[in-house]
Amino acid sequence: MSVIALLGSVEIGLVYALVAFGVYLSFRVLNFPDLTVDGSFPLGAAVAATLITKGVDPYLASFAAILAGAAAGLVTAVLNLRFGILHLLASILTMTALYTVSLRVMGGPNVPLLMVDTVLTPFQGLGLQDYWLKPIVFAVITLLVALLLARYLNSASGLALRATGSNPRMARANGISTDATTYLGMGLSNGLVALAGALFAQANGFADVTMGIGTIVIGLAAVIIGETLLPARSVLWMLLACLAGSVMYRLAIGFALNADTLGLTASDLNLMTAILVGLALILPRLKREAASRRARRARTAQPTAARPTAGDAP
Amino acid sequence: MIRCSDLHLTFNRGAPTERLALRGVTLDIPAGEFVTVIGSNGAGKSTLLNALAGDYQPESGAITIDEQDVTAWPSHRRAGLVARVFQDPLAGTCGDMTVEENLALAAGRGTRRGFSLALDSGRRDRFRETLRDLGLGLENRLGAQMGLLSGGQRQSVSLLMAALQPSRILLLDEHTAALDPKTAAMVMALTDRIVQDQKLTTLMVTHSMRHALDHGDRTIMLHEGRIVLDIAGDQRKGLTVQDLLDQFAKVRNEALDDDKLLLG
Repeated sequence: MSVIALLGSVEIGLVYALVAFGVYLSFRVLNFPDLTVDGSFPLGAAVAATLITKGVDPYLASFAAILAGAAAGLVTAVLNLRFGILHLLASILTMTALYTVSLRVMGGPNVPLLMVDTVLTPFQGLGLQDYWLKPIVFAVITLLVALLLARYLNSASGLALRATGSNPRMARANGISTDATTYLGMGLSNGLVALAGALFAQANGFADVTMGIGTIVIGLAAVIIGETLLPARSVLWMLLACLAGSVMYRLAIGFALNADTLGLTASDLNLMTAILVGLALILPRLKREAASRRARRARTAQPTAARPTAGDAP
Repeated sequence: MIRCSDLHLTFNRGAPTERLALRGVTLDIPAGEFVTVIGSNGAGKSTLLNALAGDYQPESGAITIDEQDVTAWPSHRRAGLVARVFQDPLAGTCGDMTVEENLALAAGRGTRRGFSLALDSGRRDRFRETLRDLGLGLENRLGAQMGLLSGGQRQSVSLLMAALQPSRILLLDEHTAALDPKTAAMVMALTDRIVQDQKLTTLMVTHSMRHALDHGDRTIMLHEGRIVLDIAGDQRKGLTVQDLLDQFAKVRNEALDDDKLLLG
């Protein structure tokens, strides 16, 4: 794997870390399985790319993408909270609708971003090669977002958000409007995913309506890899673990694609991702089952040894 | 002053499983009074508490707290006036958050939650002092996950959390029922101390007639959604559990007689 390919993987991993933050917010913090992200990622890309080609400042365009993504998240939340549609189904409805919205925004299936200013343009005079510049800029942006998000989740309002996902009844008993916090969290989550889409489009020079397929699985993969490899308790460490998980996932994919002996091509990416996430979900369970089997065997082997008491944790 | 006037509440209205949970409950609780509530399963004890907290909306009747009609308020809006401890020790706290984060959540009850940090050294010191009073050694475990604590510890912390912010009424829903007898006694003693120290208006549902008579100033008995016994003061002082059981048996027979009249 060449240095350029390696840095390319890191760069994509850093962009998708924002997706991982969004997925962490919805799936883990709010306990709201949200598939809207498959639609809000290309929506963010579409909004940013279209605005940039119309001459809008790339930073302003990226901010508009965040707002568009947040609006998409709110639609899902309204469908679920106000109209009682199951969260998964509500998010699939929004995701389906967003496909058309993105097409309409772009006026076609894709928008090329060639010879225009992007968020990277201001740093291009620094004399760094693009393949170094992009990962560095994205690392700064992603770390900044992680710090801000962690700071928010440790604020009084952020605590209310976390309580909503952890124990909604207790949250309400403590004066938290769980509806309000869910709207907020879903907006924030999809805003972050749309930002990732906007940055991805600017780094790669195009926005395409099909670029969102599998976003949710990639985001989940990053969160699960992060949680498994770096189990952390504080919110900031958890977010950094998501970030690391996202980069590691991309590196693993990069190595697999570059290993000629495996004979894998880019089109095999989705299957590999699904297998990877599947394994990450299955392995902890198999490990637990093996551990309890071992414990049972150890007990039957020594019948006189201390028997488990009611207080024993499983 | 808490006032419930003629509360009616039906579950599954119109369905074969329709159940009249409250059938005209009228109850005045003056400020500072500690009321214990007893009654058999399905008598409406928990329903009354949940209606006061705002989890259930009564079909008719009104609930006023300090002359303010709160009947239509959802539970999160009422939380500034109503503090509660649930029966299940897991229900009153967030298991995947730390002890200090749970306390910070409760300290924000009835306030606007802004973007300033939920925990600072001043708050931590205050929480540490409050936890020290418990005598459970929790003052050294502020950063521990709530889920690692035992049921009794979690319920004690829930009680502290309910009392961190002022409230008009404290609702205790069989909050010792899930604990072993020794822990239950510890939590009951803590309840008495907190209620007396802060002069809290309290409504405590209990399954134990003993607890109902030993604690508080007044005891009410619910049966089939109605208050059938309401005793306080001297009348209550001499009462034994046996007296209460006799009363209960009498009430039940009367209720049966009523039904016979209706049906016959």
